[in-house]
Amino acid sequence: MNYGIIIKILGNLLLFQIAALLPSLGIALYLGEPELQAFLYTIGILVLFGVPLSLKKTKSKRIQAKEGLTIVTLGWVLVAFFAAFPFYLSGVIPSFTNALFESVSGLTTTGASVIDNVEALSKGLLFWRSFLPWLGGMGIIVLTLAISPTLGVGGYQIYKAETPGPTAGKLSPRLHDTAKILFLVYLLITLALTVFLYFGGLSLFESLIHAFGTIGTGGLSTKNASIGAFNNHFIPWVISIFMIAAGVNFSLYYLMYQRKWRDAFSNSEFRLYLVVIAIGTILITLNLYGNIYQSLSESFRQAFFQVSSFITTTAYRTVDYESWPRFSQGILLFLLFIGGSSGSAAGSIKVIRHLVLLKLIKREISKILHPRAFIPIKVDGKSIPSSVETNIVGFFFLYLVLFASGSLLIMLFENIDFISASTAVAASLGNVGAGFGLVGPGHSFDFFTAESKMILAFLMLLGRLELFTIFVLLTPDFWRN
Amino acid sequence: MDIIIVGAGKLGLRLAELFSQDQNNLTIIDISQERLENVSSYLDVLTILGNGVQLKILKQAQAGRAELFIAATSSDEVNVLACSLAKQLGSKRVIARIRNPDYGEQIDLFRDHFNIDYIANPELEMAKEIARNLLKGYSIHLETFAHGKVTMVEFRVNDLAVLADKSLSQLDLPKGLLIAAILRDNQTIIPHGRTKLLLGDVIYVIGKRESINEFSQVYNAPIQKTPVRNVMIIGGGRASYYLAQKLLMNHVQVKIIEKNEERCLYLAENLKGALIIHGDGTDRELLMEENAEEMDALISVTGMDEENLMIALLSKKIGVPKVIAKISRSNYIPILEQLGIDLAINPVNIIAGEVRRFAQGGNIVSLSLILQGEAEVLEAIVPDESQIVGKPLSKLNLPEGIIIGAIVREGSVIIPDGSSVIAPDDRIIVFCLQSEQTTLEKLLQGKRGFFYELWHNHKDSR
Repeated sequence: MNYGIIIKILGNLLLFQIAALLPSLGIALYLGEPELQAFLYTIGILVLFGVPLSLKKTKSKRIQAKEGLTIVTLGWVLVAFFAAFPFYLSGVIPSFTNALFESVSGLTTTGASVIDNVEALSKGLLFWRSFLPWLGGMGIIVLTLAISPTLGVGGYQIYKAETPGPTAGKLSPRLHDTAKILFLVYLLITLALTVFLYFGGLSLFESLIHAFGTIGTGGLSTKNASIGAFNNHFIPWVISIFMIAAGVNFSLYYLMYQRKWRDAFSNSEFRLYLVVIAIGTILITLNLYGNIYQSLSESFRQAFFQVSSFITTTAYRTVDYESWPRFSQGILLFLLFIGGSSGSAAGSIKVIRHLVLLKLIKREISKILHPRAFIPIKVDGKSIPSSVETNIVGFFFLYLVLFASGSLLIMLFENIDFISASTAVAASLGNVGAGFGLVGPGHSFDFFTAESKMILAFLMLLGRLELFTIFVLLTPDFWRN
Repeated sequence: MDIIIVGAGKLGLRLAELFSQDQNNLTIIDISQERLENVSSYLDVLTILGNGVQLKILKQAQAGRAELFIAATSSDEVNVLACSLAKQLGSKRVIARIRNPDYGEQIDLFRDHFNIDYIANPELEMAKEIARNLLKGYSIHLETFAHGKVTMVEFRVNDLAVLADKSLSQLDLPKGLLIAAILRDNQTIIPHGRTKLLLGDVIYVIGKRESINEFSQVYNAPIQKTPVRNVMIIGGGRASYYLAQKLLMNHVQVKIIEKNEERCLYLAENLKGALIIHGDGTDRELLMEENAEEMDALISVTGMDEENLMIALLSKKIGVPKVIAKISRSNYIPILEQLGIDLAINPVNIIAGEVRRFAQGGNIVSLSLILQGEAEVLEAIVPDESQIVGKPLSKLNLPEGIIIGAIVREGSVIIPDGSSVIAPDDRIIVFCLQSEQTTLEKLLQGKRGFFYELWHNHKDSR
């Protein structure tokens, strides 16, 4: 294992985090908020650790799969650890466990919070809290890759480990350029949404926070009532559409930019994603119409918003969806297990895996009829290597195992009902951030014991890094030379 | 530079490795997913699965924008076709690998008719290299530059035992030469004054021809020149064919041993004057019967590395003065040379060097890869705008891996020290590690901000 390069890159990552803290620092400075000190101390600590690490001399720049996995996992843990300092040092979240929960939840785009009253937060801290999911959405390391040019070959191992989905494609020969393209797409969508929200009547600050929350799929707001606080039809519509946009594979936007419209729109993952949204919306609309809302358009609007919010694992809300009929709630619950597209900011299992699993089921059925039939699983006209097939099946099973064992563990530590415990776990593992019952709309995760919070935070990291990345690191074989 | 390589075989990979060290955008097309996965695991390249002759695939690879298009699949015909199409689509320069001797006479026709800029033939280049080596007749590896005024010689410290366990500053080296590199346990070392020479090291000495001669006399490692008159070639493949052709033209007696009867017939028909023997070259009896021990040189170029290794060792044992073996796997080469085989030669490395020189174009006069391709020695003409012009070498902050071994100005050779200044149009003979190639290229082009780049690269290489 090439420890030198691991240390050096982690050091660079910490320096990058200093840059990421600057906007929040600027806001605190401009408004003369007392949290300024907390930001300054955090930057001091980061300089103290980051500079020596980044100056580490390396004999070789060789990064193989092992180094890549280590860099990604430790990178996320370290960044999350230091990201907790502003919350802790400012005294807003007095317990470090809680501060860490908040930062892990933010960075993994989960958006589950321990803060009951966000409206009381200072602007600088509010910005930091919402900026974290935006950084994590694209992948902190892909962001670093886009900015610092010299990771070279080994970057691909890192990129593979961090990019959501079973396979990670490149858009251009050099990884640095690929990362730049993805970063630019991400930035442009965020800017576009900010402009829309600004003209929809939000302040610039609110527009930015909600653009971060939407595009990063963290779902953090400046209001306790989330999007429901804006008494306006335009804002929910815009946010619904941009939530869906954030759940699309970002490389499709590059295809569109290259005017390869047909390739982009015929992408089967993209199509299935839209179909799932459409079915979910229609079913909930019909269920709500006449039951909860008297007008069809009102039912449709609320259904569309909540479906977009859950499938993209954002967890914004306009209403108290727990007052909806059981059937509608059930659909939302299952959307937690679908998630967005691969290569997007969204979490959970991802549409592409469901697509492949459906095709596997179809193949098994035809194989019973024609035992000797040779049926490759094809996605977009290309057959999937059998190694990817097994990986997807393994992933799905591991996801369910983690869901079940996580739920049991939470119920061991907490005296809460099954729905609350299991949806808290699903919301963490899928990087959603809200569930039902005690973690339903308007509730924070503050009531959990420290043990449960650490379990949930661990599940969030597992979910964001696609389970296997972290599990590989936990095997003794990995550390053996 | 946007570069497309079709075919991720041995040559394709070697080229990808070479080009990926510079700031190039590489795209590799191959029909095997497994091979592509292997490449992308260690090189920063874009891979495309598919047939490189298919228009759809070429367009997907953006062949229209490529500055260099290289077709190196196992099929000559596919290579020609792919190159021709790429040229049509707008690739600036296209290179095709063509190996079949049947096409030997129509290479120029291919070039004109299909618009191919460079035709790479590894076996032919290897044959040329071996022939050059044999016809020069030196007993050790020697490269000449600047019309023979400057030489680079590879010495084994075992042959110069007086040098062992001494540091370079203790040595009383003749003026006009320097030790550019040391190969120790397959590691390349760039020496400085305190570096000690050890038994088993191989040293690369660059200098004026006279100084090198003086060095070899003083240390009693004579550079003998023995003309080669009788050569035995084991294996009758393409390389063997080209080599026999070259040697026969120079009035050398050639004996070829080939296993396959049909192939023997083909060789006998096409190589006038060569003696073709049908038999197994690994058979000691046959070698003795055919007087292998009386040959001036024996070259083993069968398709199997293992066979070549065996034959080379066997012939060294029976006392052939010069033994050359073809080895396709680069990492075997040092082992062979340690075992006393005079030259182990890798066709892929040779052709890769040629292709790269073609791609760079311009001011590089000659280039040879040494240290198993880890480093190169090249002769270049320094352009006016180059940033190395007009400054003492000590002020250039050259990285460790770039050593200016000699400067040739108006016909006279200068062995530089820190105070030497390079003038425009000087020829320089440079020793350069593979990792510093980009730096060297920029140094010679000198168009971009050199100091910035140099600092940048230097910093990265730490």
